Amino acid sequence: MEKDGLGLEITELRLGLPGTEKMMKKRGFTEMIMTSSGSNSDQCESGVVSSGGDVGKVSESPVAKSQVVGWPPVCSYRRKNSCKEVSTTKVGLGYVKVSMDGVPYLRKMDLGSSQGYDDLAFALDKLFGFHGIGVAFKDGDNCEYVTIYEDKDGDWMLAGDVPWGMFIESCKRLRIMKRSDATGFGLQPRGVDE
Amino acid sequence: MNYFPDEVIEHVFDFVTSHKDRNSISLVCKSWFKIERYSRQNVFIGNCYSISPERLLRRFPCFKSLTLKGKPHFADFNLVPHGWGGFVQPWIEALARSRVGLEELRLKRMVVTDEGLELLSRSFVNFKSLVLVSCEGFSTDGLASIASNCRHLRDLDLQENEIDDHRGQWLSCFPETYTSLVTLNFACLEGETNLVALERLVARSPNLRSLKLNRAVPLDALARLMACAPQIVDLGVGSYEDEQDSESCLKLQAAIRKYTSLRSLSGFLEAAPHCLSAFHPVCHNLTSLNLSYAAEIHGSHLIKLIEHCKKLQRLWILDSIGDKGLEVVASTCKELQELRVFPTDLHGGGNTAVTEDGLVAISAGCPKLHSILYFCQQMTNAALITVARNCPNFIRFRLCILEPHKPDHVTSQPLDEGFGAIVQACKNLKRLSVSGLLTDQVFLYIGMFATQLEMLSIAFAGDTDKGMLYVLNGCKKMRKLEIRDSPFGDAALLADVNKYETMRSLWMSSCEVTLGGCKRLARKAPWLNVEIINENDNNRMEENGYEGRQKVDKLYLYRTVVGTRVDAPPFVWIL
Repeated sequence: MEKDGLGLEITELRLGLPGTEKMMKKRGFTEMIMTSSGSNSDQCESGVVSSGGDVGKVSESPVAKSQVVGWPPVCSYRRKNSCKEVSTTKVGLGYVKVSMDGVPYLRKMDLGSSQGYDDLAFALDKLFGFHGIGVAFKDGDNCEYVTIYEDKDGDWMLAGDVPWGMFIESCKRLRIMKRSDATGFGLQPRGVDE
Repeated sequence: MNYFPDEVIEHVFDFVTSHKDRNSISLVCKSWFKIERYSRQNVFIGNCYSISPERLLRRFPCFKSLTLKGKPHFADFNLVPHGWGGFVQPWIEALARSRVGLEELRLKRMVVTDEGLELLSRSFVNFKSLVLVSCEGFSTDGLASIASNCRHLRDLDLQENEIDDHRGQWLSCFPETYTSLVTLNFACLEGETNLVALERLVARSPNLRSLKLNRAVPLDALARLMACAPQIVDLGVGSYEDEQDSESCLKLQAAIRKYTSLRSLSGFLEAAPHCLSAFHPVCHNLTSLNLSYAAEIHGSHLIKLIEHCKKLQRLWILDSIGDKGLEVVASTCKELQELRVFPTDLHGGGNTAVTEDGLVAISAGCPKLHSILYFCQQMTNAALITVARNCPNFIRFRLCILEPHKPDHVTSQPLDEGFGAIVQACKNLKRLSVSGLLTDQVFLYIGMFATQLEMLSIAFAGDTDKGMLYVLNGCKKMRKLEIRDSPFGDAALLADVNKYETMRSLWMSSCEVTLGGCKRLARKAPWLNVEIINENDNNRMEENGYEGRQKVDKLYLYRTVVGTRVDAPPFVWIL
């Protein structure tokens, strides 16, 4: 496996608030996979894989895989349905799924009905009948649970960092997990690090 | 046989149902040809442009069931532009004008309209079965016509179609007196469903065997539906999301326990991660399981479910099951015949959920396996050679390595030897899809060993025209050949023009064939429709002097007895 090329991209730390520059990261990742020689993602060519003549080794003309029409050969109906999981229409209505570790049922709640993180905290407490979920937003390290959310790009972020408006726009689902489990989880780093 | 009266011969023919066999019978002598044509019940037309409805009706005046296929297979991957063709309207109109007592219509990759469905519903009194697969062009209004007018409808089976959902009341168009429903599949509908109408329909359908719901049917409705139809054999759960009340869950679990006839489970288009456990009580009877749309269910839950499915024959799943999960399948599902592993991540996120190890495990554990579709990130020749040794019974072997041109990840060699081992060992192989880094050598192997091969899909493979020539010369039973992004050109295309008369179709896109080459082919083979699909604005293809060397983006050719079709859009040139 071309681990070198992959490794570089995975450890790349993004500066600034989440929600910016993540598109770049994702595209670079795609390109890395595309080229078997792991050549530099900067050489991404736009356009479809060249027809005819230049069909040779890909390492000579890397193309972002996402731009190859009809590849991988997954039928369009299936593609649409898998995309649905990424951008479920319910988000538009403000409803997100909320899961809590240890609770077997998934809940749904309307983010749009909350005015801010305090409201959200209260709503979450009510949803699960459990006090203290919301404490995490304020006290950070004092709470047994952390609330994390999955954003539009599929990354998991700690809830409470970004302005409310930005949060409800990018939040696709919420998860309340035990703090002790969260450390190994692979949360995106908050803000500026290193 | 000359001493038998026609009725006796016809009775004997009734036992011959396969299309191939009936075609063979009709070639024996004039008398058999005549008897066979009047007694043919089921007609199968693999390419709707190979024949016209009028010619069909002249040959077979008495059939009851018609199967039609329209667009070529690569249309599934958006390689065929919208409007290309495959319109069913002329067929329905011609059948309606005739006296055929049509009872069943099965369409795949065709364009269907509401007007067509309305005409269909009004024209055939005994119409019983409508099966639409990967079709488009119609809405729920068309379904309303079918529901309203087909008194004897048994099957309404909509698989993976693009249907314009007007959120209307099509389900309530089934009359209250209508009770003959056997199959109802509307999983592909996007919109809201009239739950009351659905429940009443199911409640008055004692013969209902197959029910596949769309994602708009929530948990409590599912529980009620299941409770009033415990005889169901094939269930498609649309959506399984736990809402606030666990009462629905309990009702569902109670209903499931009564589902002793259930053999096939699918759906879970939206699913809570823990929902599968409710179905564990019925797993031991399942022969078919399709969880390939359940992206939100984690591998561990899939595994827990599969551990109970000892009788499984068919499994469609996502690669989130992982190699470990496939090992569980291999040790549990000893009756497995067909496996499809679909990719969760279509954008190459580097998630190596399943590898060659999973494939090897399955081949070692499942002796009855004959069909596989496997998407993965990596493969080795050694693994494929092992798979070939373990499973010489493959009829369909489709391997898709997500990254084009990817070699054996251990040796960095092309995968020629691996696929070569597959075709050499699997003497009954009818369908093959190859991927990864491949040279002309793999096609030499295919031409030499894949004597029964009928369908071959090639992408990003080969070095020279020799590759394609090996296949065309070697595979005597080839019917459908589809090639994309491979360096095959005019020399290969033109080497044996008569070969194409023995095949249904050839597709070549982003290859090396030129307009000049295609024109030469069209001249040599008037029994073929040679279509160039040219989506660029660049209609200067003919005008500039280099047309002979102008590369053709998409070529689709097929044999036909009715010449050039008249419904081609402007971007399709028929040479």
